[in-house]
Amino acid sequence: MSASKNAIDLIQLNFEKEGYICNLQIATAIYLSQNLNKPILVEGPPGVGKTELAKATSEWMNKSLIRLQCYEGLDEAKALYEWKYGKQLLYTQVLKDKLNDIISDKSGLESSIESLHNFDDIFFSDKFLEPRPLLKAVSDDKGTVLLIDEIDKSDDEFEAFLLEILSDYQVSIPEIGTIKGKVKPIVFLTSNNTREIGDALKRRCLHLYIPFPDAKLEEQIIASRVPDIEKKLKTELVNFVQNLRDLDLKKLPSVAETIDWAKSLVLLNVKSLDANLVRETLNVLLKFQSDIDAADSEIEAMIRKGNA
Amino acid sequence: MVDFLRDFIKVLRLSDVRISSSETIDAMKISSIIGLDDKNLLKESLSQSLAKSIREKEIFADCFDNFFKEDFMNIDDPSEEEVHEKNVSDKIYDPQNNNDLESLLKTSDKTALMTSLADAASEVGLRDIKLFTQTGMFTRKILESMGLEKLNNDIFQASREGNNKREEDLKEVRERIRLEIRDYVEHQLKLRTSESGKQIREDALSQIRLSQVDKSDFALMTGIVRKMAKRLIALHSRKKRKANRGVLDIRSTLRVNQQHDGLLFKTLWKRKKVDRPKVIALCDVSGSVANVARFFLMFLYSLSEVLPNIRSFAFSNKAGEVTDLFDTKDIEDAAAETLILHGGGSTDYGQSLSDLEGFIENDIDRKTTLIILGDGRSNFGDPRTDILKSLHEKSKRIIFLNPEPKTLWGTGDSEMNRYAPYCHKAKACSSLSDLEKVVEDLLRYSF
Repeated sequence: MSASKNAIDLIQLNFEKEGYICNLQIATAIYLSQNLNKPILVEGPPGVGKTELAKATSEWMNKSLIRLQCYEGLDEAKALYEWKYGKQLLYTQVLKDKLNDIISDKSGLESSIESLHNFDDIFFSDKFLEPRPLLKAVSDDKGTVLLIDEIDKSDDEFEAFLLEILSDYQVSIPEIGTIKGKVKPIVFLTSNNTREIGDALKRRCLHLYIPFPDAKLEEQIIASRVPDIEKKLKTELVNFVQNLRDLDLKKLPSVAETIDWAKSLVLLNVKSLDANLVRETLNVLLKFQSDIDAADSEIEAMIRKGNA
Repeated sequence: MVDFLRDFIKVLRLSDVRISSSETIDAMKISSIIGLDDKNLLKESLSQSLAKSIREKEIFADCFDNFFKEDFMNIDDPSEEEVHEKNVSDKIYDPQNNNDLESLLKTSDKTALMTSLADAASEVGLRDIKLFTQTGMFTRKILESMGLEKLNNDIFQASREGNNKREEDLKEVRERIRLEIRDYVEHQLKLRTSESGKQIREDALSQIRLSQVDKSDFALMTGIVRKMAKRLIALHSRKKRKANRGVLDIRSTLRVNQQHDGLLFKTLWKRKKVDRPKVIALCDVSGSVANVARFFLMFLYSLSEVLPNIRSFAFSNKAGEVTDLFDTKDIEDAAAETLILHGGGSTDYGQSLSDLEGFIENDIDRKTTLIILGDGRSNFGDPRTDILKSLHEKSKRIIFLNPEPKTLWGTGDSEMNRYAPYCHKAKACSSLSDLEKVVEDLLRYSF
């Protein structure tokens, strides 16, 4: 067994300690991104634990998590940095008062300007800089985990503007220069695929696709997240959800919803699934009335199939 | 290892997975980190740098399984190769001497056979195989490079000596090796050409003259038009987005307010300029251009997806607006309906131009680009160049695209030479790739 395989297994184990059950794929992605210093673009249906992955990573590596939620209209002033305009204006006022002291002993315009030049100018300096998530993540010397959530919701321009940060882990501020931290942050980008991400961005990232977990993995996840659940119920419930995902539904139940359902069943002190119970609690799993109606007639069959 | 990766990436590219060179470099780094021992792990890792969408991941999985079905992937790995050489060299394979096919097969060392087979294959350039008709040729070439001549000599010699058993033996050896090689070549062919055959046809089709396109190729052609449109959209849609108000422009704010003694009387904001190009397209759908009209329409349609402000008109003997049709219907329905509504009649450029002028009178200004698609054959009717002249004066640009080659302009009822002076650009545009070039140029200009 090679060294890399061991390292990947270790990652898997560590994640398990944080309560995040991952498969080989995910662990490999984490391992590669650490070794290649590349961001990971995580895609997959909603609720499979894309955001959770970043959180687990930050906890496992003991680094602070900086999260940037993307939305339409997000621009660099909100994501990267902004100048503290108010303070800058005050500064100019202060400067104006000081102006007399600076140039009082000078005679003639030229020498006044000269001394004005020599005067320490801090108008554009980090004192007046308001760091936003991206700048914070890049400039932190201890290293951070940066989560850029739902990148597909942002505009194209924002995507283009991320490129510098993602390939060089640095931020250029025209007035000051390039800012770069000692430790490169670990970057996660998540996307729900509401629009196609640009090639340039994809090229700079490792691409990880997290599908719905298979029955075995989902059971592990439930066992780790809802420890009180009985083994029989756990198997039945996971099989039921897996069957549910085969139906033609508007929104398939996610892992997060399976966990919620497991929790509520435990709360109701249920030992085993039956049709009535499922019917009453189905709204935890399915969020559209049309989906609930569609699943309704199949419930008995699916429970039987799950038990078999 | 570099060799096998390069080969594998070539296979992926042929299967329509887009891989840039930076991704290739990543893949190499990854394989050197991961190593080649664990196939499953290698698959997972490579897929993260080489396949970047769900569709690509599926293709990747297929290709990977296919590619590594060959057990001899390791031959390109230097360390493995050394091991092989140690084990194998005394027994059989030595490329310098005349390699002995007979012992190669008889030692029943499959790996050794495959090693020498793969070596011979790369020697004769099997990786360039493109068509199934080449199978025989490559099989023969590989066989020759592996020492067919000696084997044939041996057979000949055996038959001369009257050693029938040996002759039969050797013939059987030859046949078995031939089959082995043929299998190998066919597998390689499958690997490399499942998609590339289509690609060759597509490349050819985009060069072919539009009027020559065969009916059976229409479906494929539509696909190409869409692909081109998509490429154009991807290239240019980014520029289309606009932001009305940006951040506070401190420099200009301070500069402007100096006149107010530094009191911030007036704030200035960074704004992005939005240039709104206006495009009006006029497309000839009459009988004389029937073969081409369809593609023109498809392209117009694609154009209307890229450009925000486009008005489309179609005409044969009189012009009608089809903008709404293009906005609401999908590409094929829109093209078909346009042909039914406006097509079929005999061409009358004069009438159509005057109709068009009526439609766009209020809309045409110095920002407008007018594109005319047609052959300029007006059935000896009045060409009404005066209208084109006035449009020329009012608009920013007029582009006339003619499917006929320049040598035919002005012959018969073609009024092209009379129209050309009033166009900023009059071009012969006979194939899809021509069309794409023009649109590319148009987009670059207008944004």
